Amino acid sequence: MLRRLEPLKSWEGVLLVILIGIVIFNSSMTPHYLQFQNQINLFQLHIEKVIIALIMTFIIINAEIDISVGSVMALAGCVMGYLFEKGLPFELCVLAGLLTGALTGAFNGFMVAHVKMTSLIVTLSGLIGYRGLAHVLLENRSVGNFPEWFDRLGQKPLVGPFPFALILFFLLLIIALIILQWSGAGRYVFVIGNNSEVARYSGVNVRRVKMTLFIISGLVSALGGLLLAARLGSIRGDMAIGTELEVITMVLLGGVSIFGGTGSLFGVLLSILIILNLRNGMGLLNVPGENQTGVIGALLILSVLGPNIWLGISESWNRRHVQRTRVGEEEKGG
Amino acid sequence: MIKKLMILGVVLTLVLSACGPATTEAPATEPPATEMPATEMPATEMPATEAPATEMPATEAPATEAPSGDVVKATPGKELNMVFLPKFLGNAVFDEAHAGALEAAEELQNPAELQFLAPATGGEGAKQVEIITNATTQGVNAIMLSNNAGDQVAPAAQAARDAGIAFVTWDSPIPSAEGEQVFVAQVDFAETGQVMADMARNILGEDGGKFAVLSAGPDSANQNAWIAAMEEVLAQPENANLELLEIVYGNDETEKSTQEALALVDKYPDMELIMAPTTVGIAAAAKAMQDEGLCETVKVSGLGLPAEMVSFVKNGCSPEFALWSFKDLGYLTYYLTYMIASGDLQGVEGEQFEAGRMGTYTIEKDPTRDVGLRVLMGPFSQYNADNIDAAVSP
Repeated sequence: MLRRLEPLKSWEGVLLVILIGIVIFNSSMTPHYLQFQNQINLFQLHIEKVIIALIMTFIIINAEIDISVGSVMALAGCVMGYLFEKGLPFELCVLAGLLTGALTGAFNGFMVAHVKMTSLIVTLSGLIGYRGLAHVLLENRSVGNFPEWFDRLGQKPLVGPFPFALILFFLLLIIALIILQWSGAGRYVFVIGNNSEVARYSGVNVRRVKMTLFIISGLVSALGGLLLAARLGSIRGDMAIGTELEVITMVLLGGVSIFGGTGSLFGVLLSILIILNLRNGMGLLNVPGENQTGVIGALLILSVLGPNIWLGISESWNRRHVQRTRVGEEEKGG
Repeated sequence: MIKKLMILGVVLTLVLSACGPATTEAPATEPPATEMPATEMPATEMPATEAPATEMPATEAPATEAPSGDVVKATPGKELNMVFLPKFLGNAVFDEAHAGALEAAEELQNPAELQFLAPATGGEGAKQVEIITNATTQGVNAIMLSNNAGDQVAPAAQAARDAGIAFVTWDSPIPSAEGEQVFVAQVDFAETGQVMADMARNILGEDGGKFAVLSAGPDSANQNAWIAAMEEVLAQPENANLELLEIVYGNDETEKSTQEALALVDKYPDMELIMAPTTVGIAAAAKAMQDEGLCETVKVSGLGLPAEMVSFVKNGCSPEFALWSFKDLGYLTYYLTYMIASGDLQGVEGEQFEAGRMGTYTIEKDPTRDVGLRVLMGPFSQYNADNIDAAVSP
């Protein structure tokens, strides 16, 4: 009997229980919550962050962090908007935006992997620097009036009721799952996160893994910036401020250790669902803005403390359980 | 591994089950018939429900429904779920506007409670999108928005319109007017520019001088329009000696506005006036000048709330400023929106309606934008040491 409950003892199990609680609460409080369109909206309103959370999971498991993602979103968007304003063909501007993201990622990766600077410092300067560049490009203007296909991509369903970004998220989720949980490359990410020295001596190319992760992070952030631009129909230098915190909250609440080496995409997926459903529920119940911010803040604290406390609880439970089993066996034997 | 697969399985089941009832329930894009007062309206007035997504029934009403020219009166007592959505929470002027809307709600005997929702701070304009989307999901009857996100709210507003929700803006419109039926303008935007230039002239004197503008957010459509109107007035030859140094943005946050005001002082030693066309900015700038002991050299003016500005008028930091009644603005907005949502009005050009104690208004083309309709409230009140006491006494 207890064996069957075993999976629930993990942090993922706790998250699952919380999620079920939120879903039950929301659906009992408002009939609109379970509407199909609302379930789509719930993802669509935060889809950029959710997509970036996937790559952030890799980076934090690898014992690094990238807090420049929000600024890279803005910079990529502003590069695209700036060039579009200058009259370049729009497709070219989109490519330039994505390339900008990859370049910022390459710079971050180079400083971390080759110059051996702490990723927190490198991406903190990125957080400030890339945002600054974005403001330099567009100053206080906002650029809009993009081609219709672009706005349509961000605002209208693509296949059936599903918008492009949502489909993209699920595709990326599957790819990320396969790479992180079941491939050799994924194992390298964990090994490096546990102990990069050991990994290096065992022949893992630590630099290349870190470099690759940061480049992908930049690229995905740029993609997020462009998706946001498409969804809102315009670009500004101060778009996506604070995204990094919400993304990191999602990853940490998912049970990924801030020190690297442990965590899973399953946990992150659950935590994403928790945050999105919680926000949506509060929105539908007309909870005032300040209180919503407070709840998300409390969640961030829980996300750091929770997994550690839970680990302690389940370990002590295990120990007692093992002892009891042993006592039982001895009694039988005697 | 098995454990993780199990979790994934459960999650997927959960997601799917959450999506499940969709086929049986009405999708959000279709207004729930029970919540719309459709039965009380002629069928022709409700094209929104069947119209293709891109059509805007209100502005494209067939010619046969052209307004008759009569002054329309509201039908009280209808249950309409309405959302009052200012730029952000915790600003006294929006609370006043809310009070005005509540007054109108009581007069019109709307049994549904008025929802007062907004982002927590002025720097998160894009969060208005989320609130509009959620209100659309809830199938409310009307949304009244003071826009703080430029055209970024347009897609969400259009989605609300497509779902048959009445969408009226007040205080700050949607620049492209996409998704917006009517904008309730507090004052004529061109007049605001003139008033601000006049106040600058009064304070700086006939020999003119240099001044800077401390605005709200870069995407605040109303402030941008007023500043543009003021720049036009400044371009006239008789104002050649009034020099606008720079426009800075305090995002309607007290701290940022204070920083920006002090930065202006450091940057331009010969600046004599800060013009803040926002109640948060003017109070923050006046307090900053007072605290730094700069009121003799740098004056503050613009649009302010009398209750917040009394002390600054009396100590000379802000000798003159202007505003309109936000309470009346909320009241008028509620009347108009109620009448559009209930079907009394269609929200087309030329319609006249009676807004309770405030009298008769007309829906007209908005001359300050390329597109869009407006209802002009007016007039301006200018405050100085002579009348400020009367303005704040209850």
